[in-house]
Amino acid sequence: MNIAWTVFLPIIAFLIGIFFLGLSRKIMARIQWRYGPPITQPIIDIIRAFSQRSVSHGILFNLGIALSVAGSVAVVLFLPFGKVCPLSSSGGLLVILYLMLLSPLGFALSGGEAANPNISIGISRKFILALGYEVPMLLILLSLMTYHKTISIVKIVEAQQNTGWSIVTLPLVLSGIAYLLILPAILGVRPFEIAGASQEISSGPMAEYGGQYLAIADVEHALSLFIGIALFVNLFLGGAGDIFAPVENFLASSGLSCMVTFLEGLVFFVKMLAVFVICVFINAVYPRLRIEQAIGYLWRWPTIFAFAGLVIVLIVGR
Amino acid sequence: MSLQLLLIIAFGSSLVTYILGKLSQRLRDIFAVIASWALVVMVAVFYGKQVENTSYLKFLDMNLILRMDTLSWLFAITITVVGALSIIFALSYIKMKERTDFFYLMMLLVNASMLGIVLSGDLASFYIFWEIMSWSAFLLISYNRGPALAAGMKYIVMSILGSVAMLVAVLSLYGRFGTLVISELAPAMTSASSGYILFLLLLFFTSFGVKNAVLPFHTWLPDAHSEAPSPFSAVLSGILIKMGTYGFFIVIYAIVGLKIFLGLGQGILSFHYILSIVGAITIIIPSFIAVLQNDAKRLLAWSTVGQAGYIILGIAYGTSLSVTSGLFHFVNHAAFKALLFMVVGAVEYRTGGVRDLNSLGGLIKKMPVTFIGAIVGVCGLIGVPLTNGFVSKWLIYKTLILEGSPLLAFAALIGTWGTILYSYKLIHNIFLGQLPVEYKEIKDAPISMQVPMVIFSLVIVTFGVLPGVPLRIINNIISSLGFEPLNVSLWGIVSETGALNTINISVAVIIAGIIAWLIYRAGKSAVRVSQDDNYAAGAYVPVDKYSYTVDFYNPLYRIVSPFLKDYIDIFYVKLTGWTRKFCGKVRLVYTGDVGNYVMYIMSFIALLIFIQLTWSVWK
Amino acid sequence: MDRNQLIKWIKAPGKMGHKYSLHVVYFCTGCGIIEIPPSITARWDAERFGVKPVATPRQANLFLVTGYVSLKTLKAIIRTYEQMPEPKFTVGFGSCPINGGMYWDSYNTIKHLDKYIPIDGWIAGCMPRPEAVFVAVTHLWTLIDNDMADGYKKYRKNYKYYRANQEKLYGKLEWPPQFPINDEGGPLSKSINKNGQL
Repeated sequence: MNIAWTVFLPIIAFLIGIFFLGLSRKIMARIQWRYGPPITQPIIDIIRAFSQRSVSHGILFNLGIALSVAGSVAVVLFLPFGKVCPLSSSGGLLVILYLMLLSPLGFALSGGEAANPNISIGISRKFILALGYEVPMLLILLSLMTYHKTISIVKIVEAQQNTGWSIVTLPLVLSGIAYLLILPAILGVRPFEIAGASQEISSGPMAEYGGQYLAIADVEHALSLFIGIALFVNLFLGGAGDIFAPVENFLASSGLSCMVTFLEGLVFFVKMLAVFVICVFINAVYPRLRIEQAIGYLWRWPTIFAFAGLVIVLIVGR
Repeated sequence: MSLQLLLIIAFGSSLVTYILGKLSQRLRDIFAVIASWALVVMVAVFYGKQVENTSYLKFLDMNLILRMDTLSWLFAITITVVGALSIIFALSYIKMKERTDFFYLMMLLVNASMLGIVLSGDLASFYIFWEIMSWSAFLLISYNRGPALAAGMKYIVMSILGSVAMLVAVLSLYGRFGTLVISELAPAMTSASSGYILFLLLLFFTSFGVKNAVLPFHTWLPDAHSEAPSPFSAVLSGILIKMGTYGFFIVIYAIVGLKIFLGLGQGILSFHYILSIVGAITIIIPSFIAVLQNDAKRLLAWSTVGQAGYIILGIAYGTSLSVTSGLFHFVNHAAFKALLFMVVGAVEYRTGGVRDLNSLGGLIKKMPVTFIGAIVGVCGLIGVPLTNGFVSKWLIYKTLILEGSPLLAFAALIGTWGTILYSYKLIHNIFLGQLPVEYKEIKDAPISMQVPMVIFSLVIVTFGVLPGVPLRIINNIISSLGFEPLNVSLWGIVSETGALNTINISVAVIIAGIIAWLIYRAGKSAVRVSQDDNYAAGAYVPVDKYSYTVDFYNPLYRIVSPFLKDYIDIFYVKLTGWTRKFCGKVRLVYTGDVGNYVMYIMSFIALLIFIQLTWSVWK
Repeated sequence: MDRNQLIKWIKAPGKMGHKYSLHVVYFCTGCGIIEIPPSITARWDAERFGVKPVATPRQANLFLVTGYVSLKTLKAIIRTYEQMPEPKFTVGFGSCPINGGMYWDSYNTIKHLDKYIPIDGWIAGCMPRPEAVFVAVTHLWTLIDNDMADGYKKYRKNYKYYRANQEKLYGKLEWPPQFPINDEGGPLSKSINKNGQL
């Protein structure tokens, strides 16, 4: 059963990510009073990119992008999707934090070999932005782990079934608000679309990517979108397990327990959709910040909220 | 096989190498390599044996004894392996310097004295070997002359202050208990008052803190490590610093004992908690100072200060997971820091001494094996899963979070992000980007430099995928010190509050990598182009100017650098200025002129005679 | 639009992909570029056709030459065209690339762009309105469907003559030839057969 999920989960993650990318373009278009491309447009872009023959700058150029996708696929296997988590007992939230940095590292190595300063500037800005949002994000994750006294994300999700969503659990409200404030930075949507800025630095790390490299970069973008939102939903919005108990009992008693897994996935998807649509609305309104302004914002109010949340958890939890 | 034989061979080989060097260079090289590897084999033979208290010398009515237990064995094997690989690395590197016989003498002497430190069973021989190590390190740091002399002076002054503190502590121990043997001191310590133990710990903290570069005493390290020759920088960063760690271990856990140590002080204000906070600050600030450096070796030196903070945090925190993490991080840090210094040394050797990050670039095309060493070292330093750095960092995070110190855990995690930033800067500015025209013809590092790099890379990856191998040894150490042993399996730790299973992680990443590679191969094969065929908005790529290396993290630099000046260094330099002024004033009295002194004596005798004649004070 | 016909997608995914995902190099060639932003913005929405501007030529497959081409600009056009991955399409927009247009007797402009890079289609006008961009796109779809949009294959097959024309203008060029040129004038690249197919 687990082997099947190890194959299905990345595919499901990729499909959800691609759907979100297409949905974002459609929603942005509708906000701007135009029709917009069809929702399947990212798939068309990927197919077109695959059929082009582009250039490569060396072995590391190829390996770096494979490493980046490998990192994202590996993280997907560690995130619980409903009650399904293929690699649940192998290190928990800390492993997720560390594997999440494999994909920028892959882009950084592959882009560095291309010897283009636009790429190098993009990568340095990406790392600086990552440092910017990691300071409040680490404080938020630490307050969560201290409150639930565990480092395993599966246990955090399970604990939320009993005590309610983390975002409305009283000691963790400030941490939840702080996480919402830094979520656009983690996903790379405006106003924090700094690393992949097409006009300022010629799309940053993707400047020399053509053909199949562009296609794989789009796949990785879809996967990292999924990972960013799924992490937030798992940690603060209760994961996917809280289907109504009567419905669950009814389905279990009538032998359709696989429907339970499907329903849990559907609830998870609906929560992710709600969070993503909010981020798209923010994306439509704001321009792009400069990297100094982004760091100044991220290290001010979200950090203060996250630190206050940690102090509250330390006082209450003792 | 006895421990005396080990030490005799270690010290004797350094002398013989020097003499052989006067005869023939090839013979000296071969002998140095054979001697260092012979030491490795001899130490490895001692695995699992506990040799207690073999007296080898009588000195001032004291028995000087040697002993070997699992802790000494772990440190000894790391010292000998890193030393041996540095000697192999130095075979090619030292060819561009003079006085090479002296270099080999000192390198082997440093290794021998470090071996003596970890094998010593009483504090007197500990002190003697400590002094030999400090002096030979000083001679090697100032080997290059020029700015290295000032760096060496800074190092030796601070090291002597630490040694004096240690001497005071040793003498007071001898005066109070009458013995300096470690195994006899341990039961005697239970009768000491906590004030005395605190006094001892502060003195030992001064001396070991200087060597281990804990925050108030770290200022000698950046200059010393960047000016020393690269094979010795590898040894210096990898293991010489950790002699301070060994000292902390001996004093805190072998002499004072776990219960007394954790009981010193009340509540937050306990010695071990304050030491943990000092370790945490030592992680954060140097890691971010390293981001702003432009010299490759100085960046690595500041990185060493940061990583040493992890080890101090682990040891001071006092739970079995944290001490395991501290010891494991010692082994890991020796591996990847030595590897990174060797990489920078190889680049220096091939480019004729260049280590300025702003002028290198693109060397991956010419030095691929060196690059592989660099990337594995950097992944270990950051703690990417599948490397050994990840395991030791996971252990420290887990214990800090679960024992309820999230602020210390935050310090440790932010240190990792600083590490990511400066590691990428190192890799990018040396190996990636545009290759400058003057380096178009350089070759890869010679074989004698590649072999140690490959061996260290294999060690990093092996200990990352199968951490049980060293963790079992460390488990023995901590259970012999009174901690609760961990449930160690070949691939990680099993426990109910969150297990670590590196095999799962490795398999997941490898399978994901294979899938990604297959997706990549599904497209059409790409055309290989040179670095001149690059997007430059339609213009032709400007040669030697199309690279972004200078001020690599400029936006961060502008925000962060006012907070990261090394105030402690400035304070020490001011302190030496004041001392010099004060001594200048004293020199007005102590002029060094004998006539002046005669005048003082005469006038004092005249004063005494005058007093006697006038008031008849003395009979 | 036959974008929704799944059978066609399964039969020729590459062709359908190129049709409905034409990413344009945002290269502002001449005065015609003023007509492109209106076609991208809300009134004449080009994104519903799948047409989108991208940052670098490496990510693009359509090159719009929108106006007169001076000698300096032609160098940049050739560099940009050679950096695009194949298959790629070029459309000449406005009268100037066709025959010199308004600058037919200027000493500084290129009168026949077709001699230096291959052009798949022309749109006449001075300037054509934004709706003409969509005429170009739909016309390009028909050409792609019938395998007639093979400008890039012509470039590869006849590179010797294109390069000769370029060198006649500029003397020695700073960049090396993109495809190896042999002296007999036969097929130039090993991966191309007699009919000029890849």
